[in-house]
Amino acid sequence: MVKFLKTNKAVIILQGRYAGRKGVIVKSFDDGTRDRPYGHCLVAGLKKYPSKVIKRDSAKKTAKKSRVKCFIKLVNYQHLMPTRYTLDVDLKDVVTADSLSSKDKKVTACKETKARLEERFKTGKNRWFFTKLRPPKLIAVQDPIDYLLLLSYHMLSCTGKACILSSASSDEI
Amino acid sequence: MVAAKKTKKTHESINNRLALVMKSGKYTLGYKTVLKSLRNSKGKLIIISNNCPPLRKSEIEYYAMLAKVGVHHYNGNNVDLGTACGKYFRVCCLSIIDAGDSDIIKTVPGDH
Repeated sequence: MVKFLKTNKAVIILQGRYAGRKGVIVKSFDDGTRDRPYGHCLVAGLKKYPSKVIKRDSAKKTAKKSRVKCFIKLVNYQHLMPTRYTLDVDLKDVVTADSLSSKDKKVTACKETKARLEERFKTGKNRWFFTKLRPPKLIAVQDPIDYLLLLSYHMLSCTGKACILSSASSDEI
Repeated sequence: MVAAKKTKKTHESINNRLALVMKSGKYTLGYKTVLKSLRNSKGKLIIISNNCPPLRKSEIEYYAMLAKVGVHHYNGNNVDLGTACGKYFRVCCLSIIDAGDSDIIKTVPGDH
């Protein structure tokens, strides 16, 4: 009975081009709008996750590896998997409903979210958000975090998007 | 033996309460509407049949955990749950939105 599809909730996109990507709800429209008469929300997510940064990397390499690419999208609630995580990054002023109206507004909004998400990644907080959703190796799940991964992975594989996830990891043949 | 008898009694009482909800309250049947009711925080109690596919069961439980709504695992399969609802079709999961005259929401989530 608690509303959980609120701003700053971390979600996983289930359908579309960005299926399997993690995002954060910036603004939710529970009752829909004239154009979209269903519950949907504005999601800012990671199009490209940052790579793994190791201790041996030089400063230049770290900077290169910590880059992210963002997307902003209006997504139907049905195409999201909500998680128990939140990401309190203030994106409300940057990402607005009208920033999707024209291409250059979208680009500037994406650039600003990219900057904010990158600085959040560099602080080392919210590590779950910045890791790719990997297919779990073991079926026996104890950890609640893995439980969600298993769930999301299976849901994505049901819709046929597992190929995107498996191509990312090279050790699966 | 005693435990089996006890579950039979509570099982019947759940059926009675469910019948009362069907008559006097508001409910939705089916996976899609159950998730919808959880998303817009209208659902008050979720009942899942025992042959619900485990992935779907986990998903509903996860949503219910986020929404802080009780989930009851019905002691019967979807055919039995459909019959308990007075319907001639199978019901895998249902969401009670308004209990009406029934006290199902207060008494049932204790046993999960």
